[in-house]
Amino acid sequence: MRRFSGTARSIKILPLVAFSAAAVASGWTTPSTSLPAQPDSLKFAVIGDNGTGRRPQYDVARQMALARQAFPFELVLMVGDNFYGSQKPGDLIAKFDEPYRPLLDAGVEFRAALGNHDEPVTVHYKPLGMNGQRYYTFAKANVRFVVLDTNFVDATQLGWFDQTLKAAQEEWKICYFHHPIYGNAGRHGGNVELRVLLEPILTRYGVQVVFAGHDHVYERLKFQKGIQHFVTGSSGQLRRGDLEPSDSTAAAFDEDQAFLLVEIDGAEMFFEAISRTGTRVDSGQLRRGPSLTWFAPGEEARHATSHADASHD
Amino acid sequence: MRHHTLTHRTIDASVLTPHAQTRRERLPRLTHFALEYLLALPAGALIALVWANVAGESYFRFAHSLSFVVNDVAMVFFFALVTKEIVEAAAPGGVLHPWQRVVLPAVAAAGATLVPPLIYLAYIQTVDAPMFVRGWTVTLGCDLALGYFVMRAIYGRHPAVPFYLLLAIAANGVGFLVLPPDDPGRTVAFVIAIGLMAAAFAVVAALRRARLKSLWPYVIAGGGLSWSALYWGGYHPALALAPIVPFLPHAARDRGFFVDATPDATDTLSRLELWCRHPAQIALFLFGLVNGGVVLRGLETGLWALPLATLAGRPLGIAAATLIALRAGMHLPAHVGWRDLLVIGLVAGIGFTMALFFATSVLAPGQVLSETKMGALVSVAGIGLAFLAARVLHVGRFTA
Repeated sequence: MRRFSGTARSIKILPLVAFSAAAVASGWTTPSTSLPAQPDSLKFAVIGDNGTGRRPQYDVARQMALARQAFPFELVLMVGDNFYGSQKPGDLIAKFDEPYRPLLDAGVEFRAALGNHDEPVTVHYKPLGMNGQRYYTFAKANVRFVVLDTNFVDATQLGWFDQTLKAAQEEWKICYFHHPIYGNAGRHGGNVELRVLLEPILTRYGVQVVFAGHDHVYERLKFQKGIQHFVTGSSGQLRRGDLEPSDSTAAAFDEDQAFLLVEIDGAEMFFEAISRTGTRVDSGQLRRGPSLTWFAPGEEARHATSHADASHD
Repeated sequence: MRHHTLTHRTIDASVLTPHAQTRRERLPRLTHFALEYLLALPAGALIALVWANVAGESYFRFAHSLSFVVNDVAMVFFFALVTKEIVEAAAPGGVLHPWQRVVLPAVAAAGATLVPPLIYLAYIQTVDAPMFVRGWTVTLGCDLALGYFVMRAIYGRHPAVPFYLLLAIAANGVGFLVLPPDDPGRTVAFVIAIGLMAAAFAVVAALRRARLKSLWPYVIAGGGLSWSALYWGGYHPALALAPIVPFLPHAARDRGFFVDATPDATDTLSRLELWCRHPAQIALFLFGLVNGGVVLRGLETGLWALPLATLAGRPLGIAAATLIALRAGMHLPAHVGWRDLLVIGLVAGIGFTMALFFATSVLAPGQVLSETKMGALVSVAGIGLAFLAARVLHVGRFTA
């Protein structure tokens, strides 16, 4: 993380202090995270379908900055649709740099996937951390992240995906991309064709968690073939009331914009979904083992799941 | 004309009422290939559409397991037959003979190929779907056989029909020329591909010079080398026989577009047709089955890009280019007027088979391909629009 001198840090923090005061005055709650926030854990946020440049995106971005006071995440995963509409240089600033300025100034790293509304050329926009690649991989602590471009899943990308996961030595394997392969939103839902292409590789190499967006809601699925899927496509856009929960839905929120906070500490993964106004709308804990295990907040294991077709409440 | 076409075989003309006779005369006398083509691909696509929406996972597993065999191998037979029709059309008596006949339709085709991509690109910018940009070549796909049937159904034997054919052939030709290789960075493979294609041409030229009439040396040696060249070069190997077919010895005169070869035909090109007919029909059915499945839930505005571009862009492009051609001193074919050009444009807007083919060639599986394939299916609406336009404008069979 970038370090600031005392004066510089004060200058950087001033807008956040001012925003905090305004937020409290407008009835927002500062997110009081229950995440452990262990010193050596990997902490990150997940956002998706955010790049509108409109007020809700800015609200979520401010809420993220507030959350970071208690939960100092160093990484933001973006599951695509990083920009909507015009994507000229000035638009990129208005739809990315400005809303996330406090996070960028604090040295938070962003790592984006491409959505269907993103201009392909945005892979070269440095703050998105894509390094000119439409699919790529990186590792943090004991986690291997694999980022895909689900707009075009060609044979080359599939081969790369297979080889990358095969070579991954990290304990946690997390994939993220734009189009969900499972989901219960009315507009799109899970993309069956992508599921047929990607799921065999995800299960073959023991991927534990998948983040996607595209549907403008928050949804956590029950384990599908032993994998925890999240849809986090409401960090700017929102399709209110679009969710049609089914037996595969574990938790859902489509009343307001939201983002996700995640902490990975050894074999444990903790997560919380926070709304635009700072309300916690979902939380839980996963334990990595021979198979993934789900815990409700503050509880011991409720379901020891098998690797195939496991589910939890 | 072959004596056992469906209508000739089953209906004795003497028992028809005058009205029925007139109506029958206006219907195109189609080859078995063309008639069954009209059924094979839509049947496959319809089954695929239902299957994908009822049991998606099993459909896509099936479709992906067969896509290479169908799209890159079996479709070789279909494109061999289409190329055969074009080669014959360039012979005396064909619509492409002499070449001076094609000048104005070629100019119209330029408009028909330029305007749809512009509309396509403008539309996807308007609806904020930038990932669709690479699908612009799909707008060049023009369903030649289906369009021919529609034109014959509207016009019977009328100069508008060859005008349409020339235009559709040109649009598809441009589409094939601009299809990008799937991995343009493979320089070594590209050099090998050029070598293989040169070898293919050398072999078939030698066979032709030796006046060899047997089909198989052309298909196996020339076609095999050509398929390998296209495959290694990153181009679509389904076109493998397209550069080979022009070398096949053929009859001196064209018998007509999509007119069956007689079973006793001895020229090599006709033998190709007789041999390819059934494999091509099976290939078309499977092509529809493997590529026509789209899950209807979740489709977005991108699916309208293709039908809008072709159904609006073709008539506009044809009209604009024809206007320029007329200003430059060219003349429309006799009996072809502006109202006919609108109908021709709408028929040429039917992408269907060729749009599906181009889509699977330039787009990898994913949301963009799904929506583009659906757009290809929607472009069949051009049939209804063309009939409606013909009726409103009183052209073809609707002439007052």
